[in-house]
Amino acid sequence: MAEPDRLNRRNVLKAGGLLVGAGGLKRVATAAAGPKTATSGGGGLPDGWRALRKFDAHNHVFDSVQEPDADWSLVEALVEAARAMGIEKLCCSKPITGGKMAGIDDVRYANDSVLAAMRRYPDLIAGYCFIQPGNGPQALDEIERCLDAGMIGVKLYNQFKYSDPAVFPVAERCVERRIPLLGHSGHLTDARSLAAQPEISDSLVFCDLSRRYPELMLILGHVNGGGDWEWAIKGLRDCPNVFVDTSGSVLEDDAIGMCVRELGHERVLFATDLTIEGGVGKILSADLSPDQREAIFWRNLQGILDRRTS
Amino acid sequence: MIIDVNAHLGHYPFRRLRHRTAGELIELMDANGIDRAVVSSLHAVFYRDVHRGNEELYEETKAFGPRFIPVATVNPKYVGWKRDLDEAVDRWGMKAATLVPAHHGYALDDELGREALGRIAELGLPVVLTQRFEDRRQRHHWDVAEDLEVKTLLRIAAEHPSLKFLLNNWAGLDGGALAGAGMKGRCLIDFARLHVMYLKDVSKLIATLGVESIAFGSHMPFDYVGPSLVKLANLESLPKPDLEKIAWRNAAEFLGIEV
Repeated sequence: MAEPDRLNRRNVLKAGGLLVGAGGLKRVATAAAGPKTATSGGGGLPDGWRALRKFDAHNHVFDSVQEPDADWSLVEALVEAARAMGIEKLCCSKPITGGKMAGIDDVRYANDSVLAAMRRYPDLIAGYCFIQPGNGPQALDEIERCLDAGMIGVKLYNQFKYSDPAVFPVAERCVERRIPLLGHSGHLTDARSLAAQPEISDSLVFCDLSRRYPELMLILGHVNGGGDWEWAIKGLRDCPNVFVDTSGSVLEDDAIGMCVRELGHERVLFATDLTIEGGVGKILSADLSPDQREAIFWRNLQGILDRRTS
Repeated sequence: MIIDVNAHLGHYPFRRLRHRTAGELIELMDANGIDRAVVSSLHAVFYRDVHRGNEELYEETKAFGPRFIPVATVNPKYVGWKRDLDEAVDRWGMKAATLVPAHHGYALDDELGREALGRIAELGLPVVLTQRFEDRRQRHHWDVAEDLEVKTLLRIAAEHPSLKFLLNNWAGLDGGALAGAGMKGRCLIDFARLHVMYLKDVSKLIATLGVESIAFGSHMPFDYVGPSLVKLANLESLPKPDLEKIAWRNAAEFLGIEV
């Protein structure tokens, strides 16, 4: 769907009594007149927004659906929501959270959940292989097992800061296999939150890893997943090889705009991290040209996936 | 028609908001097809004398007529707050009152909180309780406010059986627990932080509290409006009268405003 470039045309059109909004051109209502185009169905959304192609770069399968008597209801709800929202690909992982260091058996079990979901929804669900770097060579073997089974990348959680040498072999394997590395991130300014995740990596840590491995396709996960997102974005300005994904439960205005202004839209990947309606809605609300929006919604991730050799 | 029950005017001290004035908020509303907004003053949260924030809110919004439904902020720790509230209601026509206990240094269930809630109930006004303005994981060094807690909400609901609650920006609400505290029929919950699809928060609340308990809210200008428009669109399978209730009719009836 064609839409005018809102960012560049806004000020020009304002002078003529027109405002470019999320739904295209609308006459600005004055005083008590009210909007001209309000609808109960969400008058500010672009026409055909559901049909816009979308790849979700950061999502999860948290239930142990590989078990014979597994409860699939949350996965099914995720799939239902994704399809309703026009999301054609859900890139999912199952990190082991809660401060656990996670042995290799637990890691394999977690990845088996994602593999089961991939088998049930092969056209929709893609997998990231969760890795606990402290498992050493067994972690690298797990990457190979996951890739052989069709996964598309690696997911790290907060067991180690990404500046820790334990992470380097994982990064090197990702470079070697030309697969993306999605990392849990946050610049947490709240003492209690930070105490719960003492080894979480912020954007400067991502930068350090990226400088060490410039070829690495490194994705800073959920820029809106809690923590100071303005800090996170500014910290990435001098690290051109780090992508950001837009997911998280925080839906704050201008976060997407700031990502694009500071990093360029080519480095921004649409994602939801289970905040599906919010994740789609904030991209639709952001000041983006149709080309930028399309790149963020799916083309940038496709570019990353196209680089794989595996 | 859309009435947004979760909106604010003014500066926020810890982050730049793009739409801070009444005129800027009107532009945002028009771009998103929002007809009217229930607004409170962010300045009132942070001024020592909150009523000066109420006064600013009245002055700034009155030029836009019915587009804004202003809400009075009350600080029961500040001298003369009852007379100030009367002025906001009787002279300026404000339709609800909001309390921000975490910012003003008291609790909803202590003596000050009880007195404020009691007075708001006596006036027949709904109280607007915003669970949080921002996620605490990104808080500024000076931002010490904790989120309002569900258990406190349930306690004060039981203590004030005639009081109506507009609950903005809440997550973690259990419809059964709210009903158990006697809130069915006297609470209106905005869906800014709720899921329509996936976790199906909204349909679960409707199942226990009725469709009259849900309202459109976006938490503008803190948040993008698009997420709430998407949620409203995802409710379009509801019967049209129910969709209208969520979009605007519940807000109008709850706040007693003419449409």
